[in-house]
Amino acid sequence: MSWTVIRASLWQRRTSLAWYLGGLAFYSWLMVWYWPSIGGSQYKELVESLPPEMLKMFGGTVVSFGTIGGFFQIEYLGLMWMLIVLSAAFIYASRAFAGEIADGTMELTLAQPISRATLAVSRVAGLVIISAALSLTTFGTLQLFGAAYDVKIAAESLCQLIGLGALFILAGGGVCMLVSACVRGGGKAGGIAAGLFALMWASDIVANVSDVADFFGPVNLVSKWQPGVIMDGGSVEPATWWLYGIVALVSLVASVAIFTRRDAA
Amino acid sequence: MAGVIECAGLTKYYGKTRGVEGLTLEVPQGSVYGFLGPNGAGKTTTIRCLLGILRPTAGEARLLGQRVVLDGARLRARVGYVPGEIHLFEKETGRWHIDYVSRLRKAPPSAAQELVERLDFDPSRKVKELSKGNKQKLALILGLMHAPEVLILDEPTSGLDPLNQETVFHIIEERVKEGATVFLSSHVLSEVERVCDRVGIIREGRLAAEESVRDLLGKRLRELTVTFAEPVEPGFFEGVAGLTRLEQRGPETFSARVKGDHLDEVVKRLATKRVADLSIQHASLEEVFMEFYRSEDGGTALPADAGAEGGAEA
Repeated sequence: MSWTVIRASLWQRRTSLAWYLGGLAFYSWLMVWYWPSIGGSQYKELVESLPPEMLKMFGGTVVSFGTIGGFFQIEYLGLMWMLIVLSAAFIYASRAFAGEIADGTMELTLAQPISRATLAVSRVAGLVIISAALSLTTFGTLQLFGAAYDVKIAAESLCQLIGLGALFILAGGGVCMLVSACVRGGGKAGGIAAGLFALMWASDIVANVSDVADFFGPVNLVSKWQPGVIMDGGSVEPATWWLYGIVALVSLVASVAIFTRRDAA
Repeated sequence: MAGVIECAGLTKYYGKTRGVEGLTLEVPQGSVYGFLGPNGAGKTTTIRCLLGILRPTAGEARLLGQRVVLDGARLRARVGYVPGEIHLFEKETGRWHIDYVSRLRKAPPSAAQELVERLDFDPSRKVKELSKGNKQKLALILGLMHAPEVLILDEPTSGLDPLNQETVFHIIEERVKEGATVFLSSHVLSEVERVCDRVGIIREGRLAAEESVRDLLGKRLRELTVTFAEPVEPGFFEGVAGLTRLEQRGPETFSARVKGDHLDEVVKRLATKRVADLSIQHASLEEVFMEFYRSEDGGTALPADAGAEGGAEA
């Protein structure tokens, strides 16, 4: 692993990362500020009047809508958060290999005495840092701002949320990085990965009315994302941790293996 | 094979598209090899195979006696590369690039400051603010600042003004004196004449010819355009040897190619009339090769040693 490559990779994305982290912090504040004025039974009545398909669109129906977890899952962490953090991870991951090869800057780095494996592992390390930062910013600011608006997350739940959130981003980013290691052009890599996740999301919604649409089955990363359950003091199934962990590990290891063997121009 | 830079039957296909095919060449230690060819001939593909950026479909590339592999990091510590198409990080400064490459090489850029001064480059400016020439200077600094044993230079003076071109030639000559081996891709005859010992031309992915610069200079080809002060009869150049592609462009104007050592004869014939304007330019090395090695049916007749060294028969 090369700290020079990690630092340079993150430095290249400094502007977009700053906006994403700042945006997440702002969104967290907005949601905790919003919760006391609309949350609770009033919100539950409003949400339950919606058709289940629409509820599914905004983050599933696993949680109780009258709770803090239900509110945050529907309004923030279910769909919008996924869009924000996955796009941040995809921007980094798509450029990590495919984008830099297409831009030609990969040639500058590969002309130096650094092995492909070291370069690839360092890019993966950058994604791990980004995943952790996005998750920590989201849930850390929820807790921080929440103190002023009576939104409290238990310490154990907070740790679970940060850990599972980071693992979810890493799995999503890992899938994009795998595509990035296989194709040429960052736009193509990001587009393919985004399309795959959009398909998972659509499959999750349509599966609510037709089991035939549930073609991702137990490996649908989107449908497994239920942070509201954890916010309400519960736990997600161990299978969720395993799923995100295995997808992240396999996709990242595969992306390193593929990059070390492919043409880089 | 015992050269510092070697290709043995090097072949690279992009799917069904040919990059290079059966390329065999050898560059001895301390020499400067000029590598020439038209766009799409396979020059950059060859260079990228030498650097381990591309994986050959067949054959092999060797640097400093070691086979080039995609993961050959240690080998690249001894190689400096200046690409033909400069791709840098647009938002970063020249200084950032110098620091980045130095950290990757885990070595201080021993010659960076000297190169910055000699090329009159401002490293504090962002790449996106730099002109083509200044980007070229930065690429040269990045490729040369660690005083590598092997220099792979793809059009190193492209975009530079004559003064800076001269500085680059001086630097290359100094590096060669210090023992460096140079692989230089170029289209400019004067540039190759100035620094190269041996020249190879690649055409359609194959080494079409290979020759020493000394032999090549004997075949020097020039583009001549002359305008006389008064109309001249079409047969004015009759009997002058070494003229090809003779064309009368008007009553007073002729253009032609002058081969090898026949310039003296041509000038003497010109002196028999009053000349209003005269232009004599060196043809590109590629044109020289094509002029001398084009067979009558339009194919390429190779010099005697090209078949053995060139792999054109593959």
